[in-house]
Amino acid sequence: MAKSFSSITLERRSLLLAGAFLATVKGAKAQQMDIARASAFVNAAGQELTTAINDTRLSQSQRREKVANILRTAIDIEGTGRFILGRYGRQASPAEMQEYLGLFDEIILHNLSARFGEYRGVKFSLGRTQQRTEEDAMVSTVIERPNSPSFVLDWRVADINGQPKVVDVIAEGTSLRLTTRSEYAAVIQRNGGRVASLLEAMRGQIAQLAAREGG
Amino acid sequence: MLNLYARFRGLAALAPSLPAAGALLSALLLLSSCATPPPADDPEAVQEFKEINDPLEPTNRTMFAVHEAVDQAVLQPVAEAYRALLPEPIRNGVRNMLGNLRTPVILTGDMLQGNLDRARKTLGRFMVNSTIGLGGVVDVSRDLGVHGHSEDTGQTLAVWGAGEGFYLFVPLLGPSNPRDLLGFGTDIVINPTTWIGQGQLLDAWNYTRLGLTVVDTREALLDPINAVRASSLDPYATLRSAYRQRRAFEIQNRDGPAGSVAPAGGAGFGQGVMEPR
Repeated sequence: MAKSFSSITLERRSLLLAGAFLATVKGAKAQQMDIARASAFVNAAGQELTTAINDTRLSQSQRREKVANILRTAIDIEGTGRFILGRYGRQASPAEMQEYLGLFDEIILHNLSARFGEYRGVKFSLGRTQQRTEEDAMVSTVIERPNSPSFVLDWRVADINGQPKVVDVIAEGTSLRLTTRSEYAAVIQRNGGRVASLLEAMRGQIAQLAAREGG
Repeated sequence: MLNLYARFRGLAALAPSLPAAGALLSALLLLSSCATPPPADDPEAVQEFKEINDPLEPTNRTMFAVHEAVDQAVLQPVAEAYRALLPEPIRNGVRNMLGNLRTPVILTGDMLQGNLDRARKTLGRFMVNSTIGLGGVVDVSRDLGVHGHSEDTGQTLAVWGAGEGFYLFVPLLGPSNPRDLLGFGTDIVINPTTWIGQGQLLDAWNYTRLGLTVVDTREALLDPINAVRASSLDPYATLRSAYRQRRAFEIQNRDGPAGSVAPAGGAGFGQGVMEPR
């Protein structure tokens, strides 16, 4: 294990420092993300996820469903969906926005739970937590799986209406929300700048996923 | 997939013809169709166009389609067969050996970036792994706690302040840009086997190394690329974004504590070739 991950003293010291820092500025900034809270939150969600993934009593579909449920409470799906749609969010009609958020919820949970659901025997360890901006903190974890190289997964955590929530996951430097934002923007741009074309593509994707799983 | 090819010498056969290749590339760029910039009175769209920084997008997308066809017909099936036929310890040995052979390129990058600590590790790893590690097949250094890392000249140029220029998709090499492409050519030149010796045996060895690197890299990328193909509504745009983010991560030397980029390469597909288990 690398130094930053094993050094408990360092961790404790940074927590103390963060505590002292927060004590002085508390109240000054609304919705500031406390890094100790962010890290405890990721730890709890991670434990819950690994327990579900490694539960041998569950069938594959039960496991995926359980993972999806945990992710649904841990992730700020609506905020992430709006971030990803970016400037096109303003062009969307209220009905389009509503449909988009529903489709996004379905796709993101499906993709993530399908991926995490395969991580049998997964273990994770909590690494360093850093304040990124005033509103969010980055919690680093190392994911270890049998028969695969371990990798770093960072969780960006923000305070959403008083609750810590995941707003992005970053695998070895690649952010899910930035990559998805480029993907969705490209679909809209290549179809005359219409948000409706993205919705159409997302509906098609969901139908395909359903067909693949049914077949 | 750019950086991964950056290390061999099989391609070194191309080295003398690099100017010709450059001329060909320039001609291609001149002839290629360009993306239409948005109207100047839409500042958000202009901003987005600059961020995407892909003025040759129509040509790049054609190149991507060519690459995908070749990949699905040849590279992917070969990589799948390689994974199915060879047991993991052997594949790990191959990856370790290929990484060890990249030492001259990695060491040059470490030094040109002024990172003496990393240079020392690279050199130490090479000495230990080439001897006790049986020609680099066993990563003894890693077991002693000194993990490998990757460097290439594209990263060095970035550390020196060079911007990426604009996005390029090169069939067989993958996502790139003028800076990384120049780095790729330089890496071939840095490789000593480009210059030493001649003869059929050396040629055979260089082509074997080229072939192994292509297959090893593609094998490492089987799962990530399948995931992109299965889940992205626009794999071209996903890879473009992932490549840039991945390169930024590599340039900052943010190697993970456990699964740092295998010395055999950071593959430019937005997913590194990881250190074998």
